[in-house]
Amino acid sequence: MHPYASSDPGILKQEHLVNAALQIRSGRLLVFLSILSRLTVVVLLCALALLTEYLNLKIAYNHPRLVELSSGKAMRMFYEAADTVFSKFGDPMQLAQTNGGMTWSIRLMGVPFTDPIAALSVLAKDHRMKLGFALGLTAPLALALLFGRAFCAYICPASLLFYFISRIRRWLSRWFYFPELSIHRGFSWGVLAGGIGVAVWTGHGIWTLILPYFAVGQTVFHGIAMGTLSIALGSILLFACLDFFFGRQFTCRYVCPTGRLLGFVGQKSLFSIRRNAQECLTSCNSCAEVCPMKVSPKLDQSVDCSVCGECLVICPTQCLSIGIRKVVSIPSHVASPIPERIHGSPPQSL
Amino acid sequence: MSIFAEFLEKLRSTLINRSAFLRTFLIGAVLPCFLPLLERLPQGARLRRFLRPPGALAEKKFVDACIGCGQCANVCPNKCISLCGLEGGIENLATPKISARAKGCILCMACTQVCPTGALQKLEPTPEGIAAVKMGTAMVSEDVCYSFAGRTCGVCYRACPLPGKAMTLGIFEQPHVHEEYCVGCGLCEQACIHMPQAIRVFSNRSIS
Repeated sequence: MHPYASSDPGILKQEHLVNAALQIRSGRLLVFLSILSRLTVVVLLCALALLTEYLNLKIAYNHPRLVELSSGKAMRMFYEAADTVFSKFGDPMQLAQTNGGMTWSIRLMGVPFTDPIAALSVLAKDHRMKLGFALGLTAPLALALLFGRAFCAYICPASLLFYFISRIRRWLSRWFYFPELSIHRGFSWGVLAGGIGVAVWTGHGIWTLILPYFAVGQTVFHGIAMGTLSIALGSILLFACLDFFFGRQFTCRYVCPTGRLLGFVGQKSLFSIRRNAQECLTSCNSCAEVCPMKVSPKLDQSVDCSVCGECLVICPTQCLSIGIRKVVSIPSHVASPIPERIHGSPPQSL
Repeated sequence: MSIFAEFLEKLRSTLINRSAFLRTFLIGAVLPCFLPLLERLPQGARLRRFLRPPGALAEKKFVDACIGCGQCANVCPNKCISLCGLEGGIENLATPKISARAKGCILCMACTQVCPTGALQKLEPTPEGIAAVKMGTAMVSEDVCYSFAGRTCGVCYRACPLPGKAMTLGIFEQPHVHEEYCVGCGLCEQACIHMPQAIRVFSNRSIS
């Protein structure tokens, strides 16, 4: 226990009981995992786009030598590799066709995954849903109910881009000043409502321009499978500029409607950030400063927490952990008072 | 019940007590409404009626149902399905289309099997399934076609997946398209050796 932390034997006992549950304390592991899994998603998107090329080679040539003659050595290596992998599990052609799509609606080995926004948009415009499409919602919603906005830190390929932009910002901030703006989070509810409105008015294609990860998926698919530049590249650049000039992960926090929706669904998620109030320092606010989602674990906030693990890395007393959400409420006299903030915005609720 | 009441209370406090919420909400809701202005950007000639993949619903219903996920384009082994950019306007953004001159559809029906929203109705790659496809109709420009100028060609007939039914040959292998059988796959347009093509496929699906 930290010497400056308050002590109360009764609370300590409660804490001890709750802490016995599954917990992750290593922030570095989480940060590493989040980058790794998002990189995997990007690679997966590229592989799915390349799958079109593979199918074409398969049906058009179906012989390594012919493939090489038509499109070069690199493509032959890709063709042979894909062929070996798929042949192990069955008919390569059929097996390859069980995968497809992008971040918006994807099938992996025949299992569909649906974006909640896509489902909302279809419900608003078309009023009908196929069963497979609706069942595809299970995994994203379950993820949100279990881990809150974990999608944003572990799956979303656009947030990887924003993560790298935030690192560039941090490096450049040695010489330049970068503002850290805050706006009210109602903005992304507005984007959600406006997006659905425009989708009903014109068509679902509008989400290509509004949703960062859909824009990334479109750009990757257009670039690799069709060899063209997508219009979605423009909106990616816009979002990147927002992030670069206005604040760290500004788009994720204030613009992206999916993140807001997942944060809303997962505000009572099973796993979330936990704070050991006894070890928490009164004078320290570093977890709230470092949080890309502007959540304050200090105040036991966990709405919008994407379990990225950055606060676990920065916490000087290691009082934070990711585990099953606390069911016991800590008496107010134990919780540390809010320190005076030097910069940044006052904490916001949803 | 208490969860519901709590939710209502939270919603009420969020909506009423916070003018900041309403302000930002309205700004956020209005901003996407400017996106259709992208259509006003200067562009080339716009083809509003695209050739859609097989099994597509009527045009308006198709555009309503298609979410632009790109799965049809992803599984197409012929790589003939491409996703629209802004060339078809904002309502066609990210919907699949087939450019027959570049590549016609081989009617393998892989795209109809995977469509998650039912914008493409499921069809089987059997003669019955192929007969049910109605993407468009081929039309011959007789003043351009080699065969109609007396130089025997017949390439389009050899490319047709339904020879003898959708297309029959006359003297000098002149192609005659029979609309009731033509499925509009576009293989004839892709194969035509004349530049520009003497046979074109036009989408003739109903609008609504």
